[in-house]
Amino acid sequence: MTQNNKFYESVEEVAPGRTFLDSSELVINMGPQHPSTHGVLRVILKLDGEKVLGLDCVIGYLHRGVEKIAENRTWAQFNPYVDRLDYVAAVSNGLGYCLAVEKLLAVEVPKRAQYLRVILTELNRLASHQVWLGTHVLDIGAVTPLFYAFRDRELILEVFEKYCGARLTTHAFRIGGCRWDAYEGFAEEVRKTCDFIVPKIAEYGELITGNRIWVERTKGVGVLSGDDCKALGVTGPMLRGAGVRWDVRKAQPYSSYDDFEFDIPIGAAGDTFDRYMVRLEEMRQSIRIIRQAVDGLPEGPLMAKVPKMLKPPAGEVYQNIEAPKGELGYYVVSDGGPQPYRVRVRPPSFINLQALEKMVKGQLVADVVAVIGTLDIVLGEVDR
Amino acid sequence: MKQALFGYLQSKVTPGEAGDMLWATIYVLLVFAGVALAVLFMNWFERKVMAHMQVRMGPMRVGPHGLLQPIADALKLLLKEDVMPEKSDKLVFWFAPVAVCMTAFTAMLVVPFGRAHAITDMNIGVVFMLGVSSLSVLSIMMAGWSSNSHYPLLGGLRAGAQMVSYEIAMGLAVVSAVMLTSMSTGTGSLSMMEIVNQQFQQGRWFAFSFFPLGFIGFVVFAIAMVAETNRAPFDLPEAESELVAGYMTEYSGFRWSLFFLSEYTAMIAVSSIAVTLWLGGWLRPFPNLLSGHRWDLAFSWGPAFVALATAALCFFYVIKMSSIRAMRLNRLGLAALAAVLGALGLLMLLPPVASRIQDIFWFSIKVAGFMYLYVWYRTTFPRYRFDQLMKIGWKVLLPVSLGVVVLTALVGVRHELLPLVWRVR
Amino acid sequence: MKVVALLRKVFLLDLFAGLAVTFRHQTPGAIVTEQYPLERPTLAPRYRGQPKLVKDPLTGEILCNACGACALACPEKLITVESERDPQTKKKVLTGYRFDLSRCMFCGLCEEACPTEALDLTPEYELALYSREGMVFEREQMENGLQRKVYEK
Repeated sequence: MTQNNKFYESVEEVAPGRTFLDSSELVINMGPQHPSTHGVLRVILKLDGEKVLGLDCVIGYLHRGVEKIAENRTWAQFNPYVDRLDYVAAVSNGLGYCLAVEKLLAVEVPKRAQYLRVILTELNRLASHQVWLGTHVLDIGAVTPLFYAFRDRELILEVFEKYCGARLTTHAFRIGGCRWDAYEGFAEEVRKTCDFIVPKIAEYGELITGNRIWVERTKGVGVLSGDDCKALGVTGPMLRGAGVRWDVRKAQPYSSYDDFEFDIPIGAAGDTFDRYMVRLEEMRQSIRIIRQAVDGLPEGPLMAKVPKMLKPPAGEVYQNIEAPKGELGYYVVSDGGPQPYRVRVRPPSFINLQALEKMVKGQLVADVVAVIGTLDIVLGEVDR
Repeated sequence: MKQALFGYLQSKVTPGEAGDMLWATIYVLLVFAGVALAVLFMNWFERKVMAHMQVRMGPMRVGPHGLLQPIADALKLLLKEDVMPEKSDKLVFWFAPVAVCMTAFTAMLVVPFGRAHAITDMNIGVVFMLGVSSLSVLSIMMAGWSSNSHYPLLGGLRAGAQMVSYEIAMGLAVVSAVMLTSMSTGTGSLSMMEIVNQQFQQGRWFAFSFFPLGFIGFVVFAIAMVAETNRAPFDLPEAESELVAGYMTEYSGFRWSLFFLSEYTAMIAVSSIAVTLWLGGWLRPFPNLLSGHRWDLAFSWGPAFVALATAALCFFYVIKMSSIRAMRLNRLGLAALAAVLGALGLLMLLPPVASRIQDIFWFSIKVAGFMYLYVWYRTTFPRYRFDQLMKIGWKVLLPVSLGVVVLTALVGVRHELLPLVWRVR
Repeated sequence: MKVVALLRKVFLLDLFAGLAVTFRHQTPGAIVTEQYPLERPTLAPRYRGQPKLVKDPLTGEILCNACGACALACPEKLITVESERDPQTKKKVLTGYRFDLSRCMFCGLCEEACPTEALDLTPEYELALYSREGMVFEREQMENGLQRKVYEK
């Protein structure tokens, strides 16, 4: 990584007078506007013919100062802003923030609210993985699964719309519980959605998993070993694809995840294919959790007793959750006032992105796009 | 004048063979117009079929069910600003799309649409087509070079390398089919018409000769032709989501549309080779097995059947289309199309018309099947990486096609070979 | 089963399986596209769309009591509530209400804060306008909604 972006922009700077055909290294810019960078990410590649020698990411094109905004809003007013971090999976962001503030307030969320939160968060994980699936295979060249994935995701977004009033920037949870109860027909609709999606996951498998072209493009590409993941702080399906059995929902359960039975899929080789299989299996496990939660939804209140004007006692807390992209953490510092003193977000995409250079060194140019896809980054989270 | 006109219509040879300049020119214009229309239709067809496979609808607004969309696209491209990069090699930059188009259309010279319906029938027909297709590689390299920018250059070099490596497999597959033309007469022929005639005489399409050898040759050619025309799954040089945007980067507006046009024309040309060599060209299904006057009559209703079926489909959509006022023009247009197709269908039931367009119809249907396959592949398969692509061309297709050539030759001369073998023993 | 795997590879069976999947989806019944301007979807009642000041169906007066809770709750501070005290009833009466829709993120905190359920984010989503000034809703627009010209072709 460079300090002030003085990664040389062209061979002209290095050796004036020579054309690029003379040099053995080629510097190519995969600019912020690119169909495959999943947002405004700029990647500067140093190539030797087709092989990648080095890589530099330039980020910050989507920086909106969210953490600074937090210092100027009340605790409840900041809730809608966290949806805009990982805008593909907004519900988990809200969950993390609410859990962090509830930890500061030392308040216990009622069981019914916890189960509702689990249902919506797991639906949200399904939706996020479907976006990942569609865009990842699109980058590799298959244009159809994108549309199939988005068609299935549409059902989930309809559930969100009927529950909280918005499809993407949901603002579903409140500090202390849930504002809305399950609407009329919620359980049936969620069950129907799950029943619809399960055979579709098998269909993606038919269309993609066995396909020899897919296997050749993804096996052995972008290998990241378990030790490297741990050293770089990479979490989520990237870590589990490398064989490390770590899922925050099992290791440090929150919001009554320990009431449910589910498995954690792990991969063996840590390459793109394994991460793909891990995420597909996670989709199936999410459906398992959703079905258990919907069947066992207890009666009860929806909100804990929290004052209208929230003033958590002074202190600091770190709350981590398993977001679809990895471990999402909120480090919240309170000084006893109505506004947070500091909210620091541990964005999984940002930290996973640091592994990009290690994964593509020595691979071919066409693999860079595949690896960015398998990282599953959302620039809203990377830049905040 | 009238004598010349009607005299020609009775003849049974192509205008090239008859030495008839006037009719040759008319045929050239007809083929050019036909292929251009086919390309326009193919654009619409690809977008609609891809859309339906992706559970969406494709163009619906411009014309009924988007039928006028290609015309709107063409107009837009014509009216765009013509950008020529400052440092580019201006003459070559101008010439490259022209050259690509020229080679693609020239290859259509010898395509046999029917018994007497080709512009000319050269006795080196197949080799001519392959040779002219190879010239298009040169034009793509010209395009990449003249843009004076590294993305197009790398893309052009890649495309050139890909096309050249798959041409070898294509050529060998063609050789294996051409060898089969010598089975009945003892002398083979490279002429496209003669190849189809041989399939008629031998009573089977070459795809099913010496099963499975002919079929393997056909499959090798079918894969190689997809790579030759830079289509999915071998479309890395022109993929949008890859790093290098391809040799067409610096081209915009009408120049880009010429590349686009020539890609579809090349698809039609190589599909025509495949249809002629392996699928019996203009022959109707089972000309020998189901021969006789009654079967001829039944199959001659094929074109009319297709036209009437399409008319019925359009009519069905007219009824199902929403009847709000905004869609009235759309509905009217589709109903008019249905009426025209129905009239054409009924016209094609008349014997003189039916007998004339039989061959063209069967040929077009087979080529259309290949076009559908092209679109199907594009919708389904991801893209191969460049090194994997080259590996398939050189390490898989080339040995297989070589094997097919050798085995076909051996099986073809088995009657002459076996006595020799016995005698040596 | 090495032989079976080899045969599958040679006969391109995995590719045919993929082709079959895309072929199956071509039935017209599978299409999920909605032709938007011709078929307009109706959204869920909880949808957070255009804000509206709700009127009491019996009296025809707005339910707003000018408390200003919505203005306090808004994260973007885009609501302005102007009121004056009625000398007879000693209660606040709403005189002016300004809602800047261009900065609104439709979070729903204002709707939640209102004690009389006077402010409602309705499922109306067609909010495009030709000028930025038009996006600041005054009281009439908040009560009656956007007066749009409906074009009939």
